[in-house]
Amino acid sequence: MTDFEEFERFTRRRLLSRAGGTGVALTGLPAILAACGGVEGSQEKAKEQNKEKAASVNHPKTEIGNWTFSNWPLYMDKKLLKQFDKQFGGKVKYLEDINDNFEFFGKVRQQLEQSKPIGRDIVVLTDYMAARWVRNGWVEPIDKKNVPNAKNIVGNLASINYDPKREYTLPYQSGAIGAGYNIKATGRELKSIKDLFDPKFKGRVTMFSEPYDSAGTVLLMDGIDASKANIDQILGAIEKIDKANREGQFRRFTGNDYTTDLAKGNIDVALAYSGDLIQLQSDDPNLRFSYFEEGNMVFNDNLLMPAEVEHPYAAETMFNYLYDPEVAAKLAAWVNYISPVKGAKEILQKSDPKIANNPLIFPPEEAAAKFHAYPALSPADEREMQEAMAKVTGA
Amino acid sequence: MLRLSLRRRRALLPWLFLGPGLLWLVIFFAIPLVNQLNVSLQTGDPETGYTFNWAFGTYSEAIGDYHEQFLRSIGYSATATVLCFVIAFPLAYFIAFKAGRYKNVMLLLIVLPFFVSYVLRTVSWQLILSDNGWVAERLRDVGLIGEDGRLLATRTAVIAGITYNFLPFMALPLYVSLEKIDRRLIEAATDLYASRATAFRKVTLPLALPGIFAGSLLTFIPACGDFINAALLGTPRQYMIGNVIQNKFLVIQDYPEAAALSFILMSFILVGIGLYARALGARNLTEAAI
Repeated sequence: MTDFEEFERFTRRRLLSRAGGTGVALTGLPAILAACGGVEGSQEKAKEQNKEKAASVNHPKTEIGNWTFSNWPLYMDKKLLKQFDKQFGGKVKYLEDINDNFEFFGKVRQQLEQSKPIGRDIVVLTDYMAARWVRNGWVEPIDKKNVPNAKNIVGNLASINYDPKREYTLPYQSGAIGAGYNIKATGRELKSIKDLFDPKFKGRVTMFSEPYDSAGTVLLMDGIDASKANIDQILGAIEKIDKANREGQFRRFTGNDYTTDLAKGNIDVALAYSGDLIQLQSDDPNLRFSYFEEGNMVFNDNLLMPAEVEHPYAAETMFNYLYDPEVAAKLAAWVNYISPVKGAKEILQKSDPKIANNPLIFPPEEAAAKFHAYPALSPADEREMQEAMAKVTGA
Repeated sequence: MLRLSLRRRRALLPWLFLGPGLLWLVIFFAIPLVNQLNVSLQTGDPETGYTFNWAFGTYSEAIGDYHEQFLRSIGYSATATVLCFVIAFPLAYFIAFKAGRYKNVMLLLIVLPFFVSYVLRTVSWQLILSDNGWVAERLRDVGLIGEDGRLLATRTAVIAGITYNFLPFMALPLYVSLEKIDRRLIEAATDLYASRATAFRKVTLPLALPGIFAGSLLTFIPACGDFINAALLGTPRQYMIGNVIQNKFLVIQDYPEAAALSFILMSFILVGIGLYARALGARNLTEAAI
């Protein structure tokens, strides 16, 4: 995105608002209305404060007590929570109240902006949302003394663009974005991203409405490193999706809800999450997932403590617990996503070799080598991408 | 107890009756409305917050970007309202005049779907209309839809879904107004040599007008803002303004534009109803209803 465009967009809004303002003859109302105005935040200041907080972080050992863990639905083996309570004392209140990163953010935004606790000690957020929380200082640094197991993190996730030293976040689970398809309908294995655009499947393909997933995948098709893509490249990919959509290639843009369409045979091919397909396969072995030869986007969901967290020691004890390979193995076997903990596979090899050898849970090396994390976009670029994609998906 | 003069008490009485309703409306309608009006005139972004600065430009931008979805919403909900009327009128007529002792059972049947959640009912339509479902296959057999044609994810599915979900809102007011009609009036009309059709046109229909008016408003207004049917039974090409507003509020979190869109929709509907009421003669309607 060029400076010029940035400038132009800014002035356009400003001009419009000024033109509107002059035409107003209402008096009295402005004062009432202005009283409900928003809050200005400064990311530079947040960065400095983050640094200070991270340098001096110290969460002394205390009783675990009653504390709260917010996660996505069906993303935890509840037996592990019971075991945690038994082993460390206290009582975890486990909420499955994160259904969508943005929706959840909308719910707690005002508390975060006013530096008030959000009533949760751990939240699980996908990369781009975790990045937003970090850059605005809405996170509490992790006291690594309380999380010795953090050393078990797999090499490729030990550092990430928005949190290079993993001072605030730890990956929870990852998932690959690939092709989910019904081999009976396609008649062949799908190996390439180009298959999503194959006219043979016209109107029987679904695409993700989340641009990080869909535009990222299209960038990989064109041989662009999606983790380092700039906004112009991303907008180009969105345009490509738009063109195919106008030609009727895609039946719908979806979140997780493509699974019903795939299971019911309404579509042949979906851009899909690896973990979902494991669940679907148990009902219908004709449903397949494949890694693309051009590479795959991966999402990472991250554990983090929100700023003003009330039970940091409890949260960190949980982090440490989840990074114990024994626990990580059980979790991976239950949620069917990719574990960020070293040693989990070896343990499963003994206890549950079927899962340890499932390429969707422990991806083969040649696929893992071509995994791409989401690009780090500036807030303005992220917004531009979201808006461009929203135009395509019609909302 | 405080003793007040009779006149005082008389003066306070209306407020006592209106009070609870008024308070409710102020807290849960008027204040949020002013708040959203304020939001619609702000600028900013979700991360740094929004500030109020008379940004009327958002309104023209919103119309420019989403007039297609506006028109579609009005088109779909108008079609669904007409369909509802066509289906519900004979139904209500039958229940009011012919159902006899089955009247209550039939009314219960109309209300029964409400015992299941709205979203769940619509999801079950997904299954009914699915490509390999019974309905689509039978229609394919008789050639009403093409070999690789589909029902789900089409305009037909969305309008059918809306019609289904809002049918009771049309049927019940129609039933009430038909039920109230004094049969002797129809008898009198036929006594005066009106044919049955003429009696229906000149007596039954005009007396049912309040029900038609109420039913069509109860159907059209919520249908206009509906997003569930388009989201579950349609594709982006069937998205209505409700889908846009939902996405703007919850995902993109462009609160000002979402609020502006809501206000535009509201004024659209208000003007529409005004015209409709004038066409039907609302004054007579309210009198007739009383």
